[in-house]
Amino acid sequence: MVNVEQVLSALRVVQDPDLHRDVVSLGFIKDVVIDGGRVSFRLDLTTPACPVKDQLKAEAERVVRALPGVQAVDVSLSASVRSPRPAGAVLPGVRNTIAVASGKGGVGKSTVAANLALALADAGAAVGLLDADIYGPSMPTMFGTNARPQPAGEKSIHPVYAQGIKLMSIGFLIDPDQPMVWRGPMVHGALSQFLEQVEWGTLDYLVVDMPPGTGDAQLTLTQRAPLAGAVIVTTPQQVSLIDARKGLKMFEQVKVPVLGIVENMAWFSCDGCGKEHDLFRRGGGRRTAEALGVPFLGEVPLEPAVAAAGDDGLPIVRRDPQCAAAQALRRVAGEVARQLAMRAAAAPAPTLAAMAWKP
Amino acid sequence: MHPPPGARPTGLSQDGPDVLVLDWSHGHRGRHRVRDLRLACRCAQCVDEWTGAPRLQPGSVPADVRPLRIEPVGLYGLSVEWSDGHATGIYTFETLAELCQCSECLAAGASA
Repeated sequence: MVNVEQVLSALRVVQDPDLHRDVVSLGFIKDVVIDGGRVSFRLDLTTPACPVKDQLKAEAERVVRALPGVQAVDVSLSASVRSPRPAGAVLPGVRNTIAVASGKGGVGKSTVAANLALALADAGAAVGLLDADIYGPSMPTMFGTNARPQPAGEKSIHPVYAQGIKLMSIGFLIDPDQPMVWRGPMVHGALSQFLEQVEWGTLDYLVVDMPPGTGDAQLTLTQRAPLAGAVIVTTPQQVSLIDARKGLKMFEQVKVPVLGIVENMAWFSCDGCGKEHDLFRRGGGRRTAEALGVPFLGEVPLEPAVAAAGDDGLPIVRRDPQCAAAQALRRVAGEVARQLAMRAAAAPAPTLAAMAWKP
Repeated sequence: MHPPPGARPTGLSQDGPDVLVLDWSHGHRGRHRVRDLRLACRCAQCVDEWTGAPRLQPGSVPADVRPLRIEPVGLYGLSVEWSDGHATGIYTFETLAELCQCSECLAAGASA
């Protein structure tokens, strides 16, 4: 009969392609049970959105099945999402805070943010979404809700639950027709409250939909929120790419790792002929990512259904999960999760604690 | 001294009443006399945002100025709340490395 040592030794040939180590030394193998010729164990990955989880599972199954005396192998999958640094005072229960940003408006940043959040949740992660676009909040429309956040004790509020994630937006607190005529300090105050006085609880990922550009709101978030990384959304054409570069430089200045670039509206699939039309010089996002040495996270096609889904309050990964745009957005989510997992696996940077001076 | 890219302080401590010690991720142990740090503030109240000309009068800073509290800002800097009431400055990690007053950095600066 096979023993646990033999099973583990066989599994040492299974490598995680991103972390470049085997699944045993990474501590991914849990609950090995041997019952005669039946072997079962759990493969505990670093993210439920792992793009290669099925391959890893199949390979683990195959190598154990090849051991003499093994008749059946039962592998279950789970995930323990890790944080790139120890919990600090702000958002202590959130393992990875992801900023979704763009240099300019109109590139579909909020659409990417909403679908990224839902795709991560669909993979099995605990997810929150903070709509930090104070001047033009779009999440209440995209999620089809105008719920009022409920108070949680005297100084904090609960986020709104919508479609399986925790959601917060300035749009929940103001009249939808009311313009936000706010100066910088008001924006700073509101965003600080969203970070510190919303009961986000324990989350694997908190996606922050940033306002476009590089202004007060971006500065507040990079200074106050423990960002694990930033995702830059752009369209393929030159003007948009110039702004994407600026956004990227801003994150570099404040030492927030750029997880990569998403090219939105990369092509248009005609519903009549099925041909892929490259409306805005497809490939610009990929070229910019290569030129700037950051990962390219994927390209998302322009489909009228994507915008319609947002307007109807059911983002595309939920409304039509099989369409090309939804599949592309799920791949982006997997890629984002993968980049975060790689960063968390690298030696974590200790959090610097505040210090009171002794006179 | 030029720290390697990505270098960041990993520990803050105090050496006596007026020296801040910064332990860095690349093993360096930096030192700063706190009044010099106060005088080097680059915030818009202390340095003109448009011309870069100094606006802070060194004589207006008490000789015994001290930090009250030092806090990390995001992933890129430190902010200091000072005993003279000033609190708007952010010292980026690059700035702190440039301002380092440990004997090694002072010697490297003098020979440069």
